[in-house]
Amino acid sequence: MEAIWLYQFRLIVIGDSTVGKSCLIRRFTEGRFAQVSDPTVGVDFFSRLVEIEPGKRVKLQIWDTAGQERFRSITRAYYRNSVGGLLLFDITNRRSFQNVHDWLEEARSHVQPHSIVFLLVGHKCDLEAQRQVTRQEAEKLAGAYGMRYVETSARDAINVEHAFTELTRDIFALVRSGDITIQEGWEGVKSGFVPNVVHSSEEVTKSDRRCLC
Amino acid sequence: MRRCGWPCYQGFPPHGQRGVRASPDLYLSNNNKNLCFPPNCSFLLFVPSCRLLEADSKSMRSMSGSRRNSGSSLVSSSSASSNLSHLEEDTWILWGRIVNEWEEWRRKKDKLLKELIRKGIPHHFRAIVWQLLGNATDMPVKNQYSELLKMSSPCEKLIRRDIARTYPEHEFFKGQDSLGQEVLFNVMKAYSLVDREVGYCQGSAFIVGLLLMQMPEEEAFCVFVRLMQEYRLRELFKPSMAELGLCIYQFEYLLQEQLPELNVHFRSQSFHTSMYASSWFLTLFLTFLPLPVATRIFDIFMYEGLEIIFRVGLAILQYNQTDLIQLDMEGMSQHFQKVIPHQFDSCTDKLILRAYQVKYNPKRMKKLEKEYTTIKNKEMEEQIEIKRLRTENRLLKQRIETLEKGQVTRAQEAEENYVIKRELAVVRQKCNAANESLEKAQDNIRELQQQKYTEQFVSNLQNQLEQSKLREAELQGALKEMQDKVLDLEKRSTCLPDENNMAALQEEVKQMKLRELETLHSFKEMQDSVTDTTGGGGGHWKESPKKNAMNELQDKLMTVRLREAQAQAELREVKLKALQLESQNQIHSKLIGRNDQERSALQDRLQMLSNQNKGLQAQLNEMKRKQSESDCKSKEEVMAVRLREADSMAAMAELRQRIADLEIQKEEGLIQGQLNHSDSRQYINELRDQIAELKNEVRRTHQAAAVHDETALPFTTPLFSSTLPTCLSFFFFSRQRFSK
Repeated sequence: MEAIWLYQFRLIVIGDSTVGKSCLIRRFTEGRFAQVSDPTVGVDFFSRLVEIEPGKRVKLQIWDTAGQERFRSITRAYYRNSVGGLLLFDITNRRSFQNVHDWLEEARSHVQPHSIVFLLVGHKCDLEAQRQVTRQEAEKLAGAYGMRYVETSARDAINVEHAFTELTRDIFALVRSGDITIQEGWEGVKSGFVPNVVHSSEEVTKSDRRCLC
Repeated sequence: MRRCGWPCYQGFPPHGQRGVRASPDLYLSNNNKNLCFPPNCSFLLFVPSCRLLEADSKSMRSMSGSRRNSGSSLVSSSSASSNLSHLEEDTWILWGRIVNEWEEWRRKKDKLLKELIRKGIPHHFRAIVWQLLGNATDMPVKNQYSELLKMSSPCEKLIRRDIARTYPEHEFFKGQDSLGQEVLFNVMKAYSLVDREVGYCQGSAFIVGLLLMQMPEEEAFCVFVRLMQEYRLRELFKPSMAELGLCIYQFEYLLQEQLPELNVHFRSQSFHTSMYASSWFLTLFLTFLPLPVATRIFDIFMYEGLEIIFRVGLAILQYNQTDLIQLDMEGMSQHFQKVIPHQFDSCTDKLILRAYQVKYNPKRMKKLEKEYTTIKNKEMEEQIEIKRLRTENRLLKQRIETLEKGQVTRAQEAEENYVIKRELAVVRQKCNAANESLEKAQDNIRELQQQKYTEQFVSNLQNQLEQSKLREAELQGALKEMQDKVLDLEKRSTCLPDENNMAALQEEVKQMKLRELETLHSFKEMQDSVTDTTGGGGGHWKESPKKNAMNELQDKLMTVRLREAQAQAELREVKLKALQLESQNQIHSKLIGRNDQERSALQDRLQMLSNQNKGLQAQLNEMKRKQSESDCKSKEEVMAVRLREADSMAAMAELRQRIADLEIQKEEGLIQGQLNHSDSRQYINELRDQIAELKNEVRRTHQAAAVHDETALPFTTPLFSSTLPTCLSFFFFSRQRFSK
């Protein structure tokens, strides 16, 4: 029996290879930090409940994507069904910061006609000595794109919860105000007051989807 | 000893070799030649050392921290026990034979070979057998390997970052400076140079890592090249990853065909194939299943290709079907991540067996490939179409903007038109007023001209009047004369019996007549008398009456002449009047005619003027229209020029950005070079300092020697001799290193 939640949001985590996407997600969903772990090949899937206000729980389904550019043909398919996204870059890697623009373009062009609420995340903020991107620059960029900026560190567990809950709160507000609506066939936002019981295959009536690859 | 084409050791590997590193890798990267197994009992003596190695490798089994159980033993499950059974020994002997008689086995006993491979290649044969299976024994690229290592690849940075994350739990690859990481880096770099199109793809490192666990880097490199080229792996790892899409498509077909219920469930939960199967194809289960299981699959893959991946994948799904159907997407992800990888740890053979129960039709696969390419082509065309439509849309939006702007200008122009029309109406009114005044003026002119004419006429008439008056005067004069005559005659006639006294006259006449008669009588008497007398002479009497009659006749004539004269004078008067009236008539009619003419002439002039006016107005309108047209055209041209400008500026901005990026890269490179340079410089400076110090020491010792004579030298020279060479060699070595 799953806990009862108000909404289920699907988030996607994108950014250059090795910025720390998998680490951040694992810190958030499993509470641990692995110094080294396998590179993501394709996509990985995680989930967790967050309580944005007392008594208001939202379930987050998080897609962890491969950062290498050629995997975009696989990861493209996941943008459309996501309502929110964390756009990560590594503060010790200037290149990853410069590529934020490309990632945003990639996401926006594949998410139409829906739109994704993004959060810009500067990761590995514990490595202050090797910083190559200043806070001001990143805040300026985030402001230009209309999104918040948060600096996180999975290793030292800085702002990890904060990043995810902030994004969730933003999306929640938009859902409540009606700017984002629940639509049939769109997986980005689902509402639920009952536990998620799976029906048997005979009761499934949804039509076939075309191949996403 | 049968030749197997490889250089052979005459004996066994030296005992010390296996103890150098705690690694299952028998073949270290100091360019050992590959071992050959002689098919005699010396091979069996080799076995115990392998057993020890197995024991070693078991000790490397570390607890899993990552998703996969990568630290587990590399040994195939059949030889997990420390005591090799006879069956295993037989297997080893058999494999030894196979390796030696490879060509024959490959050609003639291939079915048996297949079966044996499916049962699993014994661990220590893998290196050789994989090379044989991949036909990677005599590759020309092997010779290039050392050259390739010297070159630098654009993917180096990427590779470096991923190396540390490949098999991180595994002993061989653990640690930043481990040998495993270094050789892995080498092979990946070398491959990225040989195949620039693929370069480096995340995931391929796992395959290379597996190879490196079995064989030295050159051999691993060759096998990997073969794998990429001959086994479709290259297509999978290309930047477009088109082959992966195809594999997923084909896998979905199999899923739909053989596990329809599960397929329906997946679709209902939006659990897409690419979510779980991408890594299966890209890493050949090396990231999904524990190494022992994955290595068994890899054995089969080396012989049978990607088919085994499909089979194993489907077998896994089929095995877990009942569990999966009950789970939602999240549950299934968890199941895939946590449960499935360890299901076959102890029963790998079962998995393989199940894999071979899966129906797989190669022809069908080919058909699906064609279907998939057509679908992809359609999608690409659609994408192109969408892009084209999007640019068209953008252009149309721009056009709408310009047209809307044009509308605004046109509205303005309409306003201006309206104003112009009003002005025109006003002008027309003025024109009409002017025309009217013109007419009036012309009337005035006419009148004045008429007056002129009348004046002339009047003067003519006056002349005529004068003349007629003159004539009249003359006539009157004549009349007066006549009247005078008449008076004279009357006077004369007053002598004569009065006219008025007609009766008197008549009486006189009667008297006269009487007298006449009397006279006559008398005459006659006289005559008679005469006659009587003689006839003769009485004529005088006749004359006197005649004279009276003549006088009377003359009087009558005179009166009649008088009357005639009077009548003629009246007649002349009347004629004169008539003439006068006629002439007046003529003059008036001439005047009227002239007035009519003038009126018609003025009307014509008016019409002409109005026509001219219209013509001029029409010209005015035309000119205005032309002007507005030319204005619009010029505005359109300006907009087009602006659009072109904007496009070129956007292109310029892009180029500038690129230039900025490149400059940043260049600067990065420069800075790095400087750093290196400065590092090396710093280093050289340090070394120079050290040399200076040493030289000082030398001098000091010489001085000391001079002071202390021979006794000091033996003590100092060793010091000197020991430190200086090492320093110098150190210095030269570092110089060499930094000169690269």
